[in-house]
Amino acid sequence: MICRVNYSKRAQIKIQQMAFVLVALVIFLAIVSLFYFSISLSNLRKSASSLQDQEAGELVRKLTSTPEFALTSRDCSHCIDMDKVFLLKQRKVYDGFWNLDFLQIKKISEDKLECDNTSYPKCGAITLIDKEQIGSPKSAFVSLCYWAKEKGGYLKCELGRIYASGKEIK
Amino acid sequence: MLNKKAFEFSFSWIFAIIVGAVMIFLAVYAASQFVKTSQLSQDTQLGKELGIILTPIETNLETGKITTISTQNDIRIFNDCQLQGAFGSQKISIAAKSLNDEWSKQGLPSSFHNKYIFSSSIMEGKEYFVFAKPLEMPFKIADLIYLWPSQEQYCFINPPSEIEDEISELGINISLVSSLSECMKDSKKVCFSSSGCDIDISLNSGLIQGSAKKKFSERVYFDSPALLYASIFSDPEIYECQIKRLMKRTSELSWLYYSKSIFLTPKGCSSNLELELSSYANKTFSINNSFNLRDVYSISQNIRRKNNDLSCKLF
Repeated sequence: MICRVNYSKRAQIKIQQMAFVLVALVIFLAIVSLFYFSISLSNLRKSASSLQDQEAGELVRKLTSTPEFALTSRDCSHCIDMDKVFLLKQRKVYDGFWNLDFLQIKKISEDKLECDNTSYPKCGAITLIDKEQIGSPKSAFVSLCYWAKEKGGYLKCELGRIYASGKEIK
Repeated sequence: MLNKKAFEFSFSWIFAIIVGAVMIFLAVYAASQFVKTSQLSQDTQLGKELGIILTPIETNLETGKITTISTQNDIRIFNDCQLQGAFGSQKISIAAKSLNDEWSKQGLPSSFHNKYIFSSSIMEGKEYFVFAKPLEMPFKIADLIYLWPSQEQYCFINPPSEIEDEISELGINISLVSSLSECMKDSKKVCFSSSGCDIDISLNSGLIQGSAKKKFSERVYFDSPALLYASIFSDPEIYECQIKRLMKRTSELSWLYYSKSIFLTPKGCSSNLELELSSYANKTFSINNSFNLRDVYSISQNIRRKNNDLSCKLF
């Protein structure tokens, strides 16, 4: 004996209709939420990156008072001890200490040469941090002072700039 | 026989009710998660901003500064000190009060390696006082930042004249009185020449050196005015952790000055401080608690004296 169930065709169509509407609704909501999250994520990224820039800007202004940079032997609020900074470059323990992607001290001169053991102090820049990708660096004018051995030895100061760039948001 | 007097629900009704309930549940869940996430993101942002605005408060040539930080709503500031890494780190996170007077979940902490905040581990309020002072041992180590909510009033009973003058000059909102009875009822009392206060300070004669004991807490030790303030405004756990971080930095700075001394000797700027600096670097690196600060005090004073006598100063 064969049993046959009689389904109403109209009801079947209604169920199918409802299923399609639900699927369409879910897809629509997914697209809207994706769109919303991509916008909010990009805003979040923007504000995080602006905070990093702000941090770099504040740091660049205060770096001259940091003990690793400051010229403490004289009462000079915007003087950087270049001898100390040159030696600081060799101390790997400071990696990541300032939360920056780029940190450079540059003399205002034609000389662009990076300082090393042979060229120092007759060189143009000391780059302490130099990551591959950097944002737009903030800068401030400073006095760069170092011990010059000429004329029996004296503290020589030159005009320079300090550049810093906050960490890139990946 | 077939009539059972029951409601007949068509499949489409059952389907609509179940799917509708699931969708409403998902919508409510997504909305609550969204509110939580945006609150977390706001609190995290606020924590980072707080860390950034503390940078200009740090000192240059001046000895100290007082500033007020205000927020629109009540916030909780969480101060956490970590020792991992070469210099340890300062972590700050924030939780804000929502409209229904409930505290949100603590935001993600912002980490700073070059900051030292001395405060309670959890603070609450709309307005905070911040005060910074450099720590010199014997060269500048860092700027110490002291943070406390404005509703927390401090009352110093018979402080040394040096501390009294500094507080008056900087206009710090701390009552300076000569007896315990003159303090306001709800203020935190700090005794300098007696005991029985919320914080009892024991000073060595004539020096800003000694120890501080908070009620129900361990005694902590200090050897300079900057650390005296630190011991008053911070929890003992935060204080001890920050001391270890500061000593790690002292050790690294000593090595830096050691290198500078060797580097400048052939250039006619000899300091002959290499031996003292290397010994100071090793000792400060191994300091485990504030009690051991007294072990390095004499070396620090010796280095300061020798440096002051130099014509070509190292620091």
